[in-house]
Amino acid sequence: MNSVEMAVTVYASLTRHLIRSLLATLGIVLGIAAVVAMLAIGEGGRLEALRQIESQGVDNIILRSVKPAEGNVQQTSRSYTQRYGITQADFDHIRNVFENVRLLVPVMDTRRDIYQGQQTTDIEAVATIPEFLEATRCRLVDRRSRFLKPSDGKVLDPVCVVGVKAARRLFGHQDPIGGTVVVGNISFRVIGLMESPGGGRLAGQYDLNNVVCMPLDTARSLWGGITFRMGRGVAEQVDYDFLYVAAKDIDAIPGSAGRLRSYLKSVHPQVDYEVQVPYELLQSARKTQRIFTIVMTSIAAISLLVGGIGIMNIMLANIFERTREIGVRRALGARKRDILWQFLAESVLLTSIGGALGSGLGIATASIAETVSRMGGESGLKAVVTSESLIVALVVSVITGITFGTYPAWKAAQLDPLTALRHE
Amino acid sequence: MGVPDTQQTRQPLIELQGLAKTYEAGGTLIYALRPTELTVRHGAFLTVMGPSGSGKSTLLNLFGLLMRPTSGVYRLEGRPVSGLNDNDTSTVRCRMIGMVFQSFNLLSHLTIQENVCVPMQYAGLPRAKMHLRAQALLDQLGLAGRYGSRPTQLSGGQCQRVAIARALANDPPVILADEPTGNLDEKTGQEVLEIFQELHRAGKTIIMVTHNPIYRKYATQSVTIHDGRMKES
Repeated sequence: MNSVEMAVTVYASLTRHLIRSLLATLGIVLGIAAVVAMLAIGEGGRLEALRQIESQGVDNIILRSVKPAEGNVQQTSRSYTQRYGITQADFDHIRNVFENVRLLVPVMDTRRDIYQGQQTTDIEAVATIPEFLEATRCRLVDRRSRFLKPSDGKVLDPVCVVGVKAARRLFGHQDPIGGTVVVGNISFRVIGLMESPGGGRLAGQYDLNNVVCMPLDTARSLWGGITFRMGRGVAEQVDYDFLYVAAKDIDAIPGSAGRLRSYLKSVHPQVDYEVQVPYELLQSARKTQRIFTIVMTSIAAISLLVGGIGIMNIMLANIFERTREIGVRRALGARKRDILWQFLAESVLLTSIGGALGSGLGIATASIAETVSRMGGESGLKAVVTSESLIVALVVSVITGITFGTYPAWKAAQLDPLTALRHE
Repeated sequence: MGVPDTQQTRQPLIELQGLAKTYEAGGTLIYALRPTELTVRHGAFLTVMGPSGSGKSTLLNLFGLLMRPTSGVYRLEGRPVSGLNDNDTSTVRCRMIGMVFQSFNLLSHLTIQENVCVPMQYAGLPRAKMHLRAQALLDQLGLAGRYGSRPTQLSGGQCQRVAIARALANDPPVILADEPTGNLDEKTGQEVLEIFQELHRAGKTIIMVTHNPIYRKYATQSVTIHDGRMKES
């Protein structure tokens, strides 16, 4: 029997009991729908993770000062000041020795509270240099805005640039430009509004939309190198809390990051720093994708097992009911393999229809999940249906049809023609 | 001087040499068909008669290759066919043998045209050719214009005509009919028998199992079976 005749025969058999055929595919429909929806939501999550990594700046290597555990504090006889983190010497070394550096942007956490009226807020006040905006992929909002410029720190007129979220908190509906922000006990004039379009975080820590930036020189002259007391006579000093190293050549980042780590390891007796390399995170996120795919495939396999067993059940019932038909076909010249292919094609067609319906349902489910998750707030799940996931769904449904249709089809083919013909 | 065209001078179509079918029941060997010798020549009309359970159907199933003999040789057009593998057996069934059953055995979910096409599908005929041949056969059997009907929409006599059309689909040399009039009233049965007579006149070899002794008069050759023992009459 040629393939066209096979298709016609299979179609005629399946449409004979249309409702039953559709019900038989229900398990597959739900299984495939779950796979497509999970893949869509997973893909959305993955893209979101990549976007966040990229919002850190793929060409950046970010150093962060980390306070070592108390037990490791090396107290010198000379001083009770605990020094840790990225030092001025590190900064100078990187600037003078490292070649793959386009920008070097130091950031200090002033560790001063920002007040709204009498109350403190969770807004962070950081001190930095004009290149901060470029290194952190932030942009200015409002035409009147400007960012810090080198001369800002040199005059006795403390100015700051405020993140959009911080501005909303501090000023509500009032115009923030020209307004005043109180940091510690000093008033700063707002000269600009900035925004991180990707909702990025400063070295993965502070929401860039919820910070207030001031000139580094201003902070130093006001608070003298950001040393502060911890009580009981112990103080700590951090030269730079964060250091953005923007690379000239992205492809050379792994090498540069390696050399930077070696350098820091050699000059820092204890690990009081952290090296963040978004480029490496991006690479590892791509590797994670492979693992994610394997996990999803496993989930798909489990959910389709149930659907497949349903198909097998229906096919076995079908074959029992159609034993006489099998006998007639054999008596009229059908070979065992003709019967095998006919029933195998029926189960594959059933699961493929299930796969197609399931893909549609999966896409709908993912988009409903996305809509529902966004109802409460501004951010939520993001569902991205890729053509790959639909191909996976179709392939999986065909494989399920073959896997669970083979045994019933083989059983049908093995029927003795005469016994089948006498079946009532 | 030419050879006269009589039954005796035609080539043998079917030859049975010591063909037997036995089965065991409770340790006893039971003969469904005792060793049988028979030659059916091209163009013969053979009736097989005998009481129920005598072995008529066993003989017909052996002819139709739906059953394997326990011993003996079955030759079809000179070729031994009883020991063929399943694939080759199916091919012989498809191309050399047409079957007509007492209960028609039409596939109810297919139209009558599609039913007639089934053997041609297994013979690998192109779709267009298959449909034309099915329609021609249905026309020939008085079912013109009913191609799209389902078997459930037809009378018993019409169903048996469809079954005969289906048996003729691949133009096999022999038609095996298992009590083809058994489910029909006398008049319709007579009509169906006339179709077989016509086919016989057209040169087809007919082997018909029947209970009805009247049909013997249409036969060129007749056998009777009693307790698995065949006797030519």
